[in-house]
Amino acid sequence: MKSLWKWRQNNDFRFALLTLPGALFLLIFLILPLISILIFSFWRTESYELIADWNIENYTTILGEKTYLTFIWRSLVMAVSVSLVCLIYAYPVAYLVAKRGGRYRLILVLLTAAPFFTGIILRVTAIQQILGPIGLLNMALQAFGLEPIRILMYSNVASAIGLIYLWIPFMVLAIYLSLLNFNFQLLEVAYVNGAKPWRAFVEITWPLNWIGTAIGIVLVFIPTFAAFVTPRFLGGVNGALYGNILEHQFGATGTWALGSAMGVVLFLICLIFIMIVWRTINLQRSGYTGEEF
Amino acid sequence: MTAVGPRERAVVATQTGLLIFLYIFLYFPIFFIIYVSFVDNTVWPFPPEFTWQWYARLWMMSDFHLGVFNSFLIGAGTGALACIFAASAAIGLLKYQSRWRGLFAVLYLSPLFVAGILIGISSLMFHRNILGLPGNISSAILANTTQALSFAFLVILAQLTRYDWRMDEAAMVFGARPARCFWEVTLPTIWPSILGAFLVSFILAFNNLDITFYSIGAIPTLPTIAWGTLRHGIEPELYSLAAIINGLVFFILIILFFLIRLGLVRLGYRGQ
Repeated sequence: MKSLWKWRQNNDFRFALLTLPGALFLLIFLILPLISILIFSFWRTESYELIADWNIENYTTILGEKTYLTFIWRSLVMAVSVSLVCLIYAYPVAYLVAKRGGRYRLILVLLTAAPFFTGIILRVTAIQQILGPIGLLNMALQAFGLEPIRILMYSNVASAIGLIYLWIPFMVLAIYLSLLNFNFQLLEVAYVNGAKPWRAFVEITWPLNWIGTAIGIVLVFIPTFAAFVTPRFLGGVNGALYGNILEHQFGATGTWALGSAMGVVLFLICLIFIMIVWRTINLQRSGYTGEEF
Repeated sequence: MTAVGPRERAVVATQTGLLIFLYIFLYFPIFFIIYVSFVDNTVWPFPPEFTWQWYARLWMMSDFHLGVFNSFLIGAGTGALACIFAASAAIGLLKYQSRWRGLFAVLYLSPLFVAGILIGISSLMFHRNILGLPGNISSAILANTTQALSFAFLVILAQLTRYDWRMDEAAMVFGARPARCFWEVTLPTIWPSILGAFLVSFILAFNNLDITFYSIGAIPTLPTIAWGTLRHGIEPELYSLAAIINGLVFFILIILFFLIRLGLVRLGYRGQ
């Protein structure tokens, strides 16, 4: 009995030895910085310097002024619609690869992730080269004597296309990984029992893969909500999103405290979104058996 | 299995169409800028007037070279740190059944759910105002490692879940200490996933703008130079740089493929 206790103690020690270094690293370089901007968000900036003068003015500015609310709203609409389009497009693609990819499925799904080898800026510029006023699409239309498609030039639609382009690989990967562990024979059982394909999808495939799908939605929503590069190059005059004014506080204006408060607001909105998505997850309905990993 | 009916065939055809269109959508812009990097008339490159001038100019631009070098340092440093933390965490989490494993798994995956720009600005504020560190390459490596750690952790975890822990038990039965067991049994088996994790974190940190831009101060990296020059309009030299990087990555993948095909490199023992 005593030796068993000792062994147990020993394993706990080894577990801590292996997992604590990374956890401490994340605590110091991720969580403490996030707490620090929470503190600074209640301070004040005066000529590029932070002053520890506690107030909530930064938050009343963000939540009280119409301009800031407009940016939040615009980013929210953008993030929700981009996530939706990615979801609707990525699902059938991931399904096809997971179910019928055979031995090529890993290569097929990695091919959707390979564009990450090229940096975000270069890919956004490439999209700009294609959609912009002197871009490929417009010049081609002109060469054929057709009208240019104005809605694709420096607009929120162009930003949305750029953001879908950047983040759809996350959605494909998340749904694909979920479908990999999905037992497709369950569908055969449903068909044998007379279920139509759409009903089998709604009642079996969708709920059993909802966790993976939800992770995909969150992984697209967050970078889209915080986007600043894409709207800058594709969005045009009225295309600035929340990320752009956030970025602005740390650049030209140097209003650190207001910027920190905007960062906190960004974090909270993402957190609320995650909570909403989390509440839709029903572990029993998702086939969760209590086993981790 | 039920027979494949015409309806199901139509569904598969639609899905295949969507997949092909997705590849075109994802790769067309990349191939387009590689193509543009070889032509003189970059605005409307048809018919092409081929030129090497962007490559020649790139060769002359010393700030670009410094940027590539700095990005390389950030990528390598982040990759190494992220792999060490992620590999040890993944092994610890799967090998030792602890009641804390759920909490640690959530912690290790949490950076995935924090926007990059938020990691960037919070690192900037924390390093500058609390630690008193000036922005430099090491602070950029530290900030990038948080996010890269999650991706590295996922990649290593994916292979480790299929790892046969009985091999470790066998080694222990024959008297191997945990450290020796790691070097002689676990590592030789899981090294492909560690290499994959290194590549993923290297590439993420190499290309990163939203974290690096805020944590590096005034030191140039490839993405921050690109971000700066793009404000004044596109410089075709950037395209030639992208073409070179894509070419290199493609070259490395081809070499890896042939090494595996020729059996010179084996991607680890896969169990029964």
